[in-house]
Amino acid sequence: MVFHLDKCIGCHTCSIACKNVWTDREGTEYMWWNNVETKPGTGYPTKWEDQESYKGGWKTDGKKLELRSTSKRKIVPNIFHNPSQPSLDDYYEPWTYDYSELFNAPEGDDQPVARPVSMITGEPLDLEAGPNWDDDLGGSEVYAANDPNLDVLSDQQQQQMKAIERMVMFYLPRICNHCLNPSCVASCPSGAMYKRGEDGIVLINQDRCRAWRSCISACPYKKTYYNWSTGKSEKCILCFPRLESGEAPACFHSCVGRIRYLGNVLYDADRIREAALLPDDALVEAQRDTILDPEDPAVLDAARRCGIPEGVIESAQKSPVYRFAKEWKLGLPLHVEYRTFPMLFYVPPLLPVMSVSEGDLVRSDVDELFADIEKARAPIAYLGKLFAAGNEGKVRYALRKQLAVRIWRRHCTVGDVDEAAARLALNEADCSPEQADEIYRLSALATWDDRFVIPPFQREMAMEMIADPHEHRSAAGFGFRDAPRRS
Amino acid sequence: MRRQAVLRVLVLPAFLAGASGPLRAQDAPSEETIAFFRQNCMSCHTIGGGRLTGPDLKGAHERADEAWLVDFVLDPKGVIDSGDPYAAEIFRDARGVYMTQVPGIDRARAEKLVRLIVSESAKEKSEFAGLQVSDRPLTDADVARGRQLFLGAATYQNGAPACVSCHTLSGLGGLGGGTLGPDLTDVYDRLEGRKALAAWLGSPPSMVMQPVFEGHALDGEEILALVGYLKSVAEGQEEAQPASTLRFVLLGFAGAAFLLLLFDFLWRKRYRATRRPLLRTSRHAAAGSHS
Repeated sequence: MVFHLDKCIGCHTCSIACKNVWTDREGTEYMWWNNVETKPGTGYPTKWEDQESYKGGWKTDGKKLELRSTSKRKIVPNIFHNPSQPSLDDYYEPWTYDYSELFNAPEGDDQPVARPVSMITGEPLDLEAGPNWDDDLGGSEVYAANDPNLDVLSDQQQQQMKAIERMVMFYLPRICNHCLNPSCVASCPSGAMYKRGEDGIVLINQDRCRAWRSCISACPYKKTYYNWSTGKSEKCILCFPRLESGEAPACFHSCVGRIRYLGNVLYDADRIREAALLPDDALVEAQRDTILDPEDPAVLDAARRCGIPEGVIESAQKSPVYRFAKEWKLGLPLHVEYRTFPMLFYVPPLLPVMSVSEGDLVRSDVDELFADIEKARAPIAYLGKLFAAGNEGKVRYALRKQLAVRIWRRHCTVGDVDEAAARLALNEADCSPEQADEIYRLSALATWDDRFVIPPFQREMAMEMIADPHEHRSAAGFGFRDAPRRS
Repeated sequence: MRRQAVLRVLVLPAFLAGASGPLRAQDAPSEETIAFFRQNCMSCHTIGGGRLTGPDLKGAHERADEAWLVDFVLDPKGVIDSGDPYAAEIFRDARGVYMTQVPGIDRARAEKLVRLIVSESAKEKSEFAGLQVSDRPLTDADVARGRQLFLGAATYQNGAPACVSCHTLSGLGGLGGGTLGPDLTDVYDRLEGRKALAAWLGSPPSMVMQPVFEGHALDGEEILALVGYLKSVAEGQEEAQPASTLRFVLLGFAGAAFLLLLFDFLWRKRYRATRRPLLRTSRHAAAGSHS
């Protein structure tokens, strides 16, 4: 998966699509499998990046990889209550409105109002938190000011980010990252969680989940949620029923800005462990190294030997994720320092293109139009903390390349940029004109088929491993999950 | 219909088996009956050894007829409460202590017991004249040892459990003893003194104590020591009962508070909340900067 943040307009269509399809049930009202956050901000649940209190992800001393939240030793004294989970207050109490008051109110001097009522208790509620309460820097004195990632900036830089005409924000849509090294799966005491072999989707088996809620503490992205009605945990399933029939997930499909890309990659699972033991600033590169070149004959040979179907290999070769994350090195994982190796790569936002006005005219000479990324409103250090575990070089590289592509395209389409200057910019950004055109095409012109390369899922083959299809066909049907018992 | 018929077939033989045969007089009492008597009766009764808690049974069949005795043994409380004049007299003599319902008693067994009493009464010196606990005077050493035995500080020779695990006394201090069995503060008076108390301790007849002490009988010296201790408790008894209950409750509260504080300390790094503290500190900071 790739999210191109430069294109996200923060419309929340993805969140609504997901909510309508999956979390419109009792017990799931507060869940947002997909949510869109404003950065800087504390996000949802509040300050989820603060692993000092939530204890998500892995920690390492260079030799051993351990969950931050639990271990065999810690689980005994905490057996009756799994600590370090966000409370309902840290998410928000879901509410609806009592619309009947609008219609049934007696005639009076004031307009009738619909009171908010809790969707959990049914009682009237004073609204003071929501899943995107800090949207567009709302309440930033409280929320944006407490963004844990701002720690890397000096006080002066922080003040600058708030200054008028310097203020900056961008959107960060988040879903489950379907990590390579998922800490939620590792923490589950019931063995209910698994990463699906054929496509890497991380799922919770609803029959085996025993409500320990270990995954909720262990997931550093806080993307597993506890359903208080069924007593099971739930999470983003990457719309696998849609994927299996060749459709894109609901949030991908509905994305207005077309920022989302989906495709499979071939990776070497044996490298994950040693990669996760490396120091923070080597993690981005280490994760890239686990992703293999689908054109390399040795890789293809190994893939075929492992029984990966030809159709899956073909789609890996066309995968936009491989382009962005590995080939062009534009896609970066969110908070890779949690060492779960998220498989959702973000193209960092190139913020903002500033125009400089002189009188009634807008200056359009190249130097001013494409300011140096070092002078960008969002400090590189801040983006580095988010997308590269502090390794600013990785973010700088991605931003430079994006900027070079813009300069190159300006040369091609408007023509007010000197070709030599454009080529120089590309050269400095480690990008050929051909690559620049490809990046431009996949970023700006991509069609549905370019953005979503969905491999054939071979569910019929996967099914054969656990059930005989002919027998399954005669035994399955509409009705009970378990056969009704005669008494 | 069929089920009812089956039930009837099953019930009929059971009923036949339960019916008792005619009384056969003058059979020698069986070993089993003697053991039963020893186990269940001798803590309160003797035959020719004088009265303990209950009356001396020598010649009991002359004071009341055998059928009455059988009925009484089967349900002592029922007969006493029915207003029977002789039963009332016995009850008065026993200072209002009901005879306990004997565990495992049935009509056949009661008849055998009555016949045992008849045959033993005829003897000059019955073997059931009572446990011969020494008559020596009780010393302070007995009291001290009795206290140790009661509290479990010293162990019984045959491995019987310490009294304090089920019983309490006034003035025990701390949380007191167990509450499963009755308070033994005035048991010395209740059982009318040394002899009866010693007999009780020799073979405890109550439903609960009997199986517990089976095979772990107390030794004569141990009994004396306990009697000495219980006597001293009964004599030195203060009116401390309500205070000890209050102390128990207060100690409970204090213990609970201590445990809660301990848990709070052990889990002091637990997760509490994020959003509310955030609001509080931010508002604080804002208020500070405006003023």
